[in-house]
Amino acid sequence: MILRARSLRSSGPVLLAAVSLGAFAIGILSFSVPGLQPSSFRTRTGQPQLVSIEPLGDEGAMCQWMPASASEPFSMALPQQSSSGASHRATDKIERAPIRVIRDTYPTYSAVALDLQTNEVYLQDENLFGLKVFDRLDNTPPTAAFTEPKRVLGGIETKLEFNCAIYVDPKTGDVYSVNNDTVDHMVVFPRDAKGNVRPMRELRTPHGTFGIAVDEVNQEMSLTVQHDHAVVTYKKDAKDLDHPIRLLQGDHTLLADPHGIAVDTTRKLMFVANHGSRYTPTGERPPEMPAHWPRGRDTEEKPGSGNFTPPSITVYPLQASGDTAPIRVIQGPKTLLNWPATLFVDEQNGELYVANDAGDSVLVFPIDASGDAAPARNISGPRTGIKYPTGVFVDFKNDELWVSNMGNHSATVYPRTADGNVAPLRTIRSAPAGKLALSIGNPGAAEYDTRRDEILVPN
Amino acid sequence: MHDIKYNAVHDEFIVSNPFAQAILTFRGAADGEEPPIRILQGPSTQLSDVQRIDVDPINNELFVPSGGRILVFDRTANGNVEPKRVVSGPNTRLRQVETVAVDPARDMVALGASILPLPRGGGIAIFDRSASGDAKPRAVITGPRTEIYRIIQIRITPKGWMVAAMPGVREEQEPEGAFVGVWHITDNGDVAPRWKLHGPGTTLIKPRGVAINPKNQEVIIADMRLNSVLTFYFPEIF
Repeated sequence: MILRARSLRSSGPVLLAAVSLGAFAIGILSFSVPGLQPSSFRTRTGQPQLVSIEPLGDEGAMCQWMPASASEPFSMALPQQSSSGASHRATDKIERAPIRVIRDTYPTYSAVALDLQTNEVYLQDENLFGLKVFDRLDNTPPTAAFTEPKRVLGGIETKLEFNCAIYVDPKTGDVYSVNNDTVDHMVVFPRDAKGNVRPMRELRTPHGTFGIAVDEVNQEMSLTVQHDHAVVTYKKDAKDLDHPIRLLQGDHTLLADPHGIAVDTTRKLMFVANHGSRYTPTGERPPEMPAHWPRGRDTEEKPGSGNFTPPSITVYPLQASGDTAPIRVIQGPKTLLNWPATLFVDEQNGELYVANDAGDSVLVFPIDASGDAAPARNISGPRTGIKYPTGVFVDFKNDELWVSNMGNHSATVYPRTADGNVAPLRTIRSAPAGKLALSIGNPGAAEYDTRRDEILVPN
Repeated sequence: MHDIKYNAVHDEFIVSNPFAQAILTFRGAADGEEPPIRILQGPSTQLSDVQRIDVDPINNELFVPSGGRILVFDRTANGNVEPKRVVSGPNTRLRQVETVAVDPARDMVALGASILPLPRGGGIAIFDRSASGDAKPRAVITGPRTEIYRIIQIRITPKGWMVAAMPGVREEQEPEGAFVGVWHITDNGDVAPRWKLHGPGTTLIKPRGVAINPKNQEVIIADMRLNSVLTFYFPEIF
């Protein structure tokens, strides 16, 4: 309850302060109070008068009054909830259902790869945490709600979570799946795996892996590590706690939030796509840390070393290690690079394919491109069906280009040499036509915008 | 981006960019590829391991946990600016701070952190808002009754209730015992939560982010394993 006073004087200040706490009301008036009288009987006295007593509503925040002489807030001067009392309090357990849920119930495809022995296409579902396998020639009719996959791999046993890259062994059909920043393991499944099954092989990886490139000639695999701005290389059959055999990391590498990675074993080159944010990892590795393990998250960051650079593709010798500078950098406004994700190298034709996520395009560069180079081909536009593409794969046997789209629950197929605003040859769609993805990906926070009545979700 | 906070007084929102050790401020209606209006970044900032943040729109300050320290900046700091205050040192009992929440009404700041001495584990440390240097916390909520393994986000209601996400063991995809717990900012010691939102009926698996909507008496939770954002009606705390 609050006491409210109103001065009937024509001028002069009125000072009234009141604090309400729970069931108590304390009113402090700086002036004398002649007593409450019905309004019809009040007469002008030239002095402040108490005119009403009204209950305080139980809504909204109260501003706490604090006199200038106070050494601590008033609320802190009142008896506090004693630790001994609170330590014995019972917890009210609340098990109520949410009143609203924002969730995308359809798959969103982060990566694509083909098994040309079985004519199957593997799509990484990074929204529902699984792998969907389709026939290479599947093409969702425009009137259909979606195409049913032939096979689905997913569930807690699979350890698939925020799975963002995929490699299918062309000889064995083994499927390598890279998890991003919640499960620090790469997992491998046999070709015909389905359901909620354990991987046949697991490999502990640094936190925040994104892309994978396999060098079949040297039997090695390289993974990009976003958080530490690094590339780690393992033997292709590495498993469990096996150590990386090489580490590429350091300020000279120009690695900056690396994502996609591809290798050209003919020209002996490694290509890395960078989003552009970076800091300097530092710190001494503790003895228990594996050899060639990146510094940064697991050691230290150099404080205040962060900076933003434009997106780029950095090119290194195939087996580069240490703090090695790239031999070439593709970077600049003409490149149109915008969150470049997966890369794919066409060794025979000498071309580099880029899933250009935030640019809604697939860019194709000459393999020897350097500097501020424009792409040779740019597949983009409303007819293409491309929306936030993060995966790209070239099928040389059938001369086709595959794109996985995080933005619209689909994979789209084009002639390998497609350019411009071209319609796909086929579309595998896993949601109703026209449905856009919600783009929620590992929501680490949420915020409520009181002005716009909106929920903000960073991903 | 691992955190976002909306400043209703100035109609801005701020986000953390851990890969670039930066704090970005955008205007409240920002959309598309609109650039930030302020970027806090550079050697003088001392920023590292930037994950969670909070803004105090009344006292115009930004609070940024960085390892075992709290860096405090002017809200409008832009560019390569030094913090105006740093809370750091053995008396703070902070080992690794996961999250921060400022309560300008009570002039306090709450931190989700691993608490020293070990092996106490996770807890909530509460400091005076203007604490500086090697300051002692005014209260520390930690211990077996709290059921806290780690606290990853805290929001404070107008009545001083701290709504805290306890997601469980980081390495587990569906950890046992994850919950959203509520303590009061005046609590201290080995105190059980006053309320605990958990159980199959909630559908929560690994809650990470928490926001509050006092007007509608709602709590908004981002759940990592569900890859979803859930809204709960929770009048008890408003």
